[in-house]
Amino acid sequence: MAKKRSSSPPILSRRDVLKIAGTTGTAVVFTELVTSGPLSSEAVRGIGAQTHPSNQAGEPHQWRMLIDLAKCIGCNYCVWACQAVNDVPDETMRWNVGFPDRTENGIDFYMTRPCMHCQEAPCVKVCPVGATWVREDGLVAMDYDRCIGCRYCEVACPYDARRFNWRTPESENALEPTWGEAEVERRPRGVVEKCTFCVHRIDRGLDQGLTPGVDREATPACVVACPVGARVFGDALDPESPVAKEIAEHTSFRLREDFGTEPKVHYVQPERKGA
Amino acid sequence: MATLRRRFAEPLTLWFALLIGLIGIGSIGGLRTLLHGLQVTGLNDRVPWGLWITHDLSAIALGAGAFIFSAAVYLFRIKRLEPMARPAVLVGFIGYTSAMLALLVDIGRPDRFWHPLVYWNVHSVLWEVTLCVVLYSAVLAMEVLPVVIENRFFDRWPDLRKAGHQLHRATPILAVVGMGLSLLHQSSLGATYGVLSGRAIWFKPSLPVMFILSAVAGGVGLTLWLTIITGKLRHVRLIPHEVQLEVSRFVGYLTLAYLYIKLWDWAATSYYSHAPGTADALSRLQATTPYTLTFWWWEIVLGLIVPAVILLYRPLRRNDRALIAGLGLLVFGVIVNRWNTTLSGLIAPPDWSPGVLGGVVTAAYSPSWVEVAVTAGIIGYAWLAFTLAVRYLRIYENPSPERG
Repeated sequence: MAKKRSSSPPILSRRDVLKIAGTTGTAVVFTELVTSGPLSSEAVRGIGAQTHPSNQAGEPHQWRMLIDLAKCIGCNYCVWACQAVNDVPDETMRWNVGFPDRTENGIDFYMTRPCMHCQEAPCVKVCPVGATWVREDGLVAMDYDRCIGCRYCEVACPYDARRFNWRTPESENALEPTWGEAEVERRPRGVVEKCTFCVHRIDRGLDQGLTPGVDREATPACVVACPVGARVFGDALDPESPVAKEIAEHTSFRLREDFGTEPKVHYVQPERKGA
Repeated sequence: MATLRRRFAEPLTLWFALLIGLIGIGSIGGLRTLLHGLQVTGLNDRVPWGLWITHDLSAIALGAGAFIFSAAVYLFRIKRLEPMARPAVLVGFIGYTSAMLALLVDIGRPDRFWHPLVYWNVHSVLWEVTLCVVLYSAVLAMEVLPVVIENRFFDRWPDLRKAGHQLHRATPILAVVGMGLSLLHQSSLGATYGVLSGRAIWFKPSLPVMFILSAVAGGVGLTLWLTIITGKLRHVRLIPHEVQLEVSRFVGYLTLAYLYIKLWDWAATSYYSHAPGTADALSRLQATTPYTLTFWWWEIVLGLIVPAVILLYRPLRRNDRALIAGLGLLVFGVIVNRWNTTLSGLIAPPDWSPGVLGGVVTAAYSPSWVEVAVTAGIIGYAWLAFTLAVRYLRIYENPSPERG
């Protein structure tokens, strides 16, 4: 029986069957990849665009912040409000950092630095799992459930804006409730976090018909906490927004524009005090 | 009793005891990391990559001999290099598995190690590296399996043996795939640093080129080094002497090419020009770290110039002892390079404040005992795997007497 089978070759040899199966399989997988899979144009254009429905907000916005170093008095309220609202109990984990500094010509000022929310964010480019992305409205968002903790984004960020959870944050948040109530969940050990421009306030505020940058509940905590109005926030696409007005009024600069990162935080030069 | 005592004093027994000890210490360190997280390391937000990343990069680079010899023997059919193919694939497999072990403890969420396979970011050079390394490790496993199945132990499963033979017939295909994947990720590992515009000391197109050149030189060098040493211990020549000389010369020329690009890399950014970020970062490194020692003396002189002379000067190349020293120094040079590359960009981060007081921070890092223990444990695993494979598998097929 076996002999007879081998003497008369079948129409389709095993090799043929394998070839056809292989070609079909490859074609199916390839089509899948290119049309709806991870190589499709949507996926390449904006990672997470489909997985994060909150991105498809109705009207377009471009959130920006302006920090007036001439107005800042170095009270640190913005730093503490950020720690309370975003529940960052550990001082070394601060998203929004502040420190005394001096210009080359001897003017003392207080430097504060949130995340720059770069349009060409190096951290977004390098993330191997697409756990961080630039939203339609310009915010650099973060998915803590997808992050694997490789810390390449920390290495890539030129502004030292990212923080890794080296340990499980268990301590009480001493800044609560004096500087605000925690509005977001604390992040687990092993993932990276950073300033979000209080994205939860912006998204919820828009849903309630509020204007971020004008209405306190819809504005980043650091901006609300500033007693001298050194921080201004809003939609750069709206010429009436406080941030658009301030940017039009002042000569401002952004940090290390030579890196090509297109940051969305503007700074106004410090001035000599008591002149 | 006397024989037992003698057996325990045997060098090989002591060697195994040492390796198992190292693996034990490494396991304790690995367990501590999994239990307590990365707070047990010396890493911080300024220097988030350290010893383990150096270990990954070195192990992958030093595994590059596998794709070179697979391609040379199974693709280009260079018959005389055949005795090098099996040891090269073995060293490659051990290198890649140890790199993956180190990566697994190094990521903050080891439970999500599979994420890069499912959540793709095609713009990330690290995603490309991860995918290539995973796929290439599978290729290496398929290249090693037939050799393992040859062992007498598998006599009782003839079907398995047959499958092994079938797999062995696919070697040319595996060689093509392996070469493609290796050419991609060996250079992309350099690009991992080379694409970061914020770190002047890294941001240059020469890094991927230097990474692949040094990987091939170091990977081929390590395979040859292990072969010569194993032969010395057994008092035989595991590969023909002409092959040993030819491969050494090849490594020598590669070392020279690498040295040439490295020289120009330095000359163009630091000697003939004053590249703004680079000059500042280098002066800060020289002020706070032994960078001059580790770069100029360890990496360039000991790790490249000395090996190049030994490998290319005939009388030295023909001397087995000199050759062992030369290849060993070359491997050392590659490891030091991966350390220097990783740390240099992190220790001297860019200055982003418009002021002059707070902006320039020079970071610091020294590995904790847990990091050292895990690295030692993985090195112990690598040596144990190599020793066992050479002892129980047909890695070297036709040894000849030492003076033959």
